[in-house]
Amino acid sequence: MASEPDTGTDQRAQALVASYARAGYARIDPPVLQPAEPFLDLSGEDIRRRMFLTADPQGRELCLRPDLTIPVSRDYLASPAAGKPAGYCYLGVVFRHRHGAAAEFVQAGIESFGRADKAAADAEMLALGIEATTQYGVDAPQIRIGDVGLFSAFVAALDLAPAWKRRLIKDFNRKSSLKHDLDQLTLAASNGSKDYQGVLAALNGSDPKAAHALVTDLLSIAGIATVGGRSVAEIADRFLEQSALNAPTRLPRDTRTLIERFLSIAGDPDDAAGELRALAADAKIALAPALDLFETRTGFLAARGVNVRALKFATDFGRGFDYYTGFVFELHGARTERPLVAGGRYDGLLLRLGARDAIPAVGFAASIDELAGNGGVS
Amino acid sequence: MSAPLILAVPSKGRLQENAENFFGRAGLALVKPRGVRDYRGTIAGVDGVEIAYLSAAEITVQLAQGAAHLGITGEDLVREMIPQADRRIVLITGLGFGFANVVVAVPQAWIDVRNMADLDDVATAFRLKHERKMRLATKYANLTRDFFATHGVVDYRIVESAGATEGAPAAGTAEMIVDITTTGATLAANGLKAIEDGVILRSQANLVAARAAAWSNEQRETARLLLDRIAAQKRAEAFAEVRTRFAGMNEKLFGIARQKFGIAAPFGGPTSSGMLTLHCPPDNVHALANFLRDNGAEAISVSPLNYVYTRDNPLYAKLAGELDADAL
Repeated sequence: MASEPDTGTDQRAQALVASYARAGYARIDPPVLQPAEPFLDLSGEDIRRRMFLTADPQGRELCLRPDLTIPVSRDYLASPAAGKPAGYCYLGVVFRHRHGAAAEFVQAGIESFGRADKAAADAEMLALGIEATTQYGVDAPQIRIGDVGLFSAFVAALDLAPAWKRRLIKDFNRKSSLKHDLDQLTLAASNGSKDYQGVLAALNGSDPKAAHALVTDLLSIAGIATVGGRSVAEIADRFLEQSALNAPTRLPRDTRTLIERFLSIAGDPDDAAGELRALAADAKIALAPALDLFETRTGFLAARGVNVRALKFATDFGRGFDYYTGFVFELHGARTERPLVAGGRYDGLLLRLGARDAIPAVGFAASIDELAGNGGVS
Repeated sequence: MSAPLILAVPSKGRLQENAENFFGRAGLALVKPRGVRDYRGTIAGVDGVEIAYLSAAEITVQLAQGAAHLGITGEDLVREMIPQADRRIVLITGLGFGFANVVVAVPQAWIDVRNMADLDDVATAFRLKHERKMRLATKYANLTRDFFATHGVVDYRIVESAGATEGAPAAGTAEMIVDITTTGATLAANGLKAIEDGVILRSQANLVAARAAAWSNEQRETARLLLDRIAAQKRAEAFAEVRTRFAGMNEKLFGIARQKFGIAAPFGGPTSSGMLTLHCPPDNVHALANFLRDNGAEAISVSPLNYVYTRDNPLYAKLAGELDADAL
C-alpha cells in the first residue's frame, strides 16, 4: 500500500464513526468527484480559489469535494428518504487549499435531515461533536456557540427599510462590512443617485402598481430593451424601495445603539438569554420565537449533560458561512487555530439544492488531524 | 556563447504592430532571419537577444514562470493570470497602446443600479427572490473576485466566458458581466452599461520583466542596453528641441519658463555667443517661442528629438533595484 493513513488516527476515527452509526446515523460515502456548481452557488465565489476544479469532456465543471455537507445533502435528496427524517454519518477525505496545511485532509461528521424538533436535534449535534473530542482525549475543549436565527429575528423586528435589513443580514458574517454598514446607516442621506432624485421623490409614497407602470413606461420611452434575469417588476420594486430609502436614510441614533448593544451580548447562554429578553423589552421588539428556541435548546443541552455554564455564546458569532440559519458551534483545542469540530443548522440549503419544500437540517464535521493534534495518547 | 536574453513579443494583430513600432522607434528593429512565419527572431545589430513571438496570454505565463526575461503584455492579463503578480514580475513601463478598462457592466434596464453598493443590494435581493445567485460572465475571474470582495458583494456566481462576453446577458446565460471596454460602444450595442464605480483596472500594454528568469550578468547588461535606448526614446518623445540665440536668458527668466512650460536646459545656460538649447514638451513649444521673443530672443528653431541619453537610466534602475532586492 502506498500511503496508509496513520493507523492510530485511523482506528480512533473508525471507532468514532462506528459510534455515530450505533447512535442511528447511517454510514454514507458520497463520490469524491462532485459537480462544482452547488459548492460555488452555495458557499460563494471565495471558495473557488480554495477548490480543486476540473472539467469533464463535455465541459461540465467538477471538483474534488471541499466538504461533505453538500454531497451528503445531495445524496439524501436523490434517495427515497428525501423529505423524510433521516440521519447520516461519514468519514472521508476532503480537498481544500489551506494556508500552511495539507490540502487533503480527513473529516468525520453527521448530517441530520427532516427533524421537526429543532432544539433537540441542535443539542444532539453539539453533544455528538463533544463526543468526538472525548474519543481523542482532548482536555476541556473551548465551545463557542451562536445563533444566526436570533440576529435574523432581531433585524426583522427593527424599523428599517427592506434594503438595509437585507444588507445587515448579508453582512452578518463579514464583521468589517457590518461595521461599515452601521457607519453608512448613520451618515446623512446625500450620496444617493442624484439624477433620479426627482423621480424618486415623486415615487415616494405612491403605490407599487403605479410605480411599475411608470418604470415600464420610462424604459420603453428610453428604448431600453430588458435583458438579463431581472424583470421590470423587480426593477420597479427596488426603485420604489430606493425612494423610501433615499428620503430620511439617517438611522436614528438609538437604532444604531440598539444594534450595537445586541451584538455585544456574550457570555454563557442563560445570562445572554436574560440580557436579550431585557433588550427586547426595552426596545419593545418581539424576539420571542427565536429566543424561545434558544432557551429550549439550552435546556436540551443541559439534559444531555453538557456543562452549559462553560459554553461561550456570542450574538455576533456566525462561522462565516451564509448557509447557516440557526444554531452554530465550534470546538477549539488549546494547541491549534482551526476548530476541531464545527457545525450548525442550515434549514435553507436543501431548498436551494432542489428540494420541493424546505427541509430542516443540522450537522457538523470533525477534523481528524486537528483532533489527533490536540488529543492525548490513544 | 552565453544564453541570450529572451524578449517575448505579441505574435499577431495590432498588438504585434504596435510592439514592433515601439521597438523600432527606440532604434531596435525586430527581424526574423528565417522568414515571416518564424516564431523566433533577433534584433538587428544587437547581440544576445532572442525574440519569442507568442500570444499575449502565453507571454504572461512565460513571464510568470521566468521562461522569458522581458515581454510585452497587457496589465489586465498580468493581474488576472498571475497570483500576487508583483512578486513574480516587474511592470517596467506603460507603452501607450493597448488601452482597455476592465469594467463591471449590467443591463441598461437596471435603472435602479448606478454603483457597486446598488449592485450589492440587487445581488442579495435576487438571491432571496430566486433562490439562486446572479451569474456574472467574464474571463477575468480573479480580478472580479478580488474587486467584488472589496465591495462586500457575495451573492453572485462567475460563469467563465471565452469570448463574446457582452452577449451573455442577452443570451440569458448571465445577468451581468466583467469585461474590457475601450469606448463603451460594444456595451451599449448589447444593451449594457458600465457601473459608475465599477472600473476594476485601467489597463495598457506594458514592458514587463520576469523576476524568476535566470538573470546572468550578460543578460542584465543586455537588458540595460535595451532599456537605455527605450528610455532615451521615451524621453525624446516627451520633448521637442528649442534652439535660440538669446544672451539675455538669466536664472529668473529660466525659472519662470520652467514653471510655465516645463522646460529643461540639458546643456546649461547660454554659451558665450548666446546660443541656448532647451527641451520643451511638444504641446508648449509655441507658447515658449512667444515667451522667448517677448523677452528679447530673435530667432527660434524647434525640431523633434530622436533620442535623449542622460547619465541615468531610470528604467534599468527600476529593474536592477527589484532584482537586487529579490536576491537579498
